[in-house]
Amino acid sequence: MAKDVKPTRKNLMEIEDRIELSERGHGTLEKKRDGLIMEFMDILDKAQDVRGDLAQDYEDAQKKINMARAMEGDVAVRGAAAALQEHPEITTESKNIMGVVVPQIESSRVSKSLDQRGYGIMGTSARIDEAAEAYEDLLESIILAAEVETAMKKMLREIETTKRRVNALEFKLLPDLYDNQEYIEQKLEEQEREETFRLKKIKEKKEQQEKEERQAEAEDEAAPDVGDESTAEPDMEQSTAGGVPGGD
Amino acid sequence: MSQEIAVVGSPEFTTGFRLAGVRRSENVPDDEKESELDDAVTDVLEDDGVGIVVMHDDDLEFLSRNVRQTVETSVEPVVVTIGSGTGGGGLRDQIKRAIGIDLMDEDEQ
Repeated sequence: MAKDVKPTRKNLMEIEDRIELSERGHGTLEKKRDGLIMEFMDILDKAQDVRGDLAQDYEDAQKKINMARAMEGDVAVRGAAAALQEHPEITTESKNIMGVVVPQIESSRVSKSLDQRGYGIMGTSARIDEAAEAYEDLLESIILAAEVETAMKKMLREIETTKRRVNALEFKLLPDLYDNQEYIEQKLEEQEREETFRLKKIKEKKEQQEKEERQAEAEDEAAPDVGDESTAEPDMEQSTAGGVPGGD
Repeated sequence: MSQEIAVVGSPEFTTGFRLAGVRRSENVPDDEKESELDDAVTDVLEDDGVGIVVMHDDDLEFLSRNVRQTVETSVEPVVVTIGSGTGGGGLRDQIKRAIGIDLMDEDEQ
């Protein structure tokens, strides 16, 4: 991963910006996750209570319908059940808990009076009424359980997603970014050292060149004197040679 | 939009709910649950008019893996199971996965 980026100052600045943003996002997501877990704990406590009530209501309802079946017969109970005209309905509104939309279920026509049930009072016994009432109570508990369990499921999904995001940032994205940052910094330092070394070498070479030039100049300066001497000799010879005939 | 409650299960299980006024019920006799329950549950889950589905805990055993997973994670409609078990269904696994601790176990203790 670290090898994929070009070690330039621009990339380093971009990576530093991304690290800053990711660290800020990581912190925010951690806070969100913790907040969601706290909210979830409250809902879980409520859910445990609702579940307890639901189990109790179901047990009561079963006892009552079994009693009605035993006393009135299964056909009578089914007949009463088939006569029902009022049907319970639910409407859902939503509530927002830390960005999670959870439902609030409103029910209507769950609990009914005797005359609303639709079966004849004369043809049925109190056992059936009691069973119907127990099941109406059970439905109320079911609606409450549905509301709480939906909220739990939605919050669990959100917690899982947030947790995955936090982990991805903490264990994948941020380490990769730190690696890249380190790689670029190392490369840039290396380049800087190379540059310094290169400049040093150039300077040395230049100094050497200057030294050589100075030496050459010094030699050049010294060389004309020697040249004069060497050229003066033939003149002198010539002058002496010339002088001889002259002398002759 | 108003929705209704549906019950899926054996006739003995659904009768009580029908007595309380529940209109939408899928009766699947015990000996046909292996083959019929999946379709009955799928039908109810696909019905937009249904907001809550009630099932017996034990009936979850008859569902195929895919349908069971849908039942355990479905939010619209939400499936409420009642009966012998703790009623948590797949919720317990979901909690363990999301929070990292078995909170339901802790609460039971």
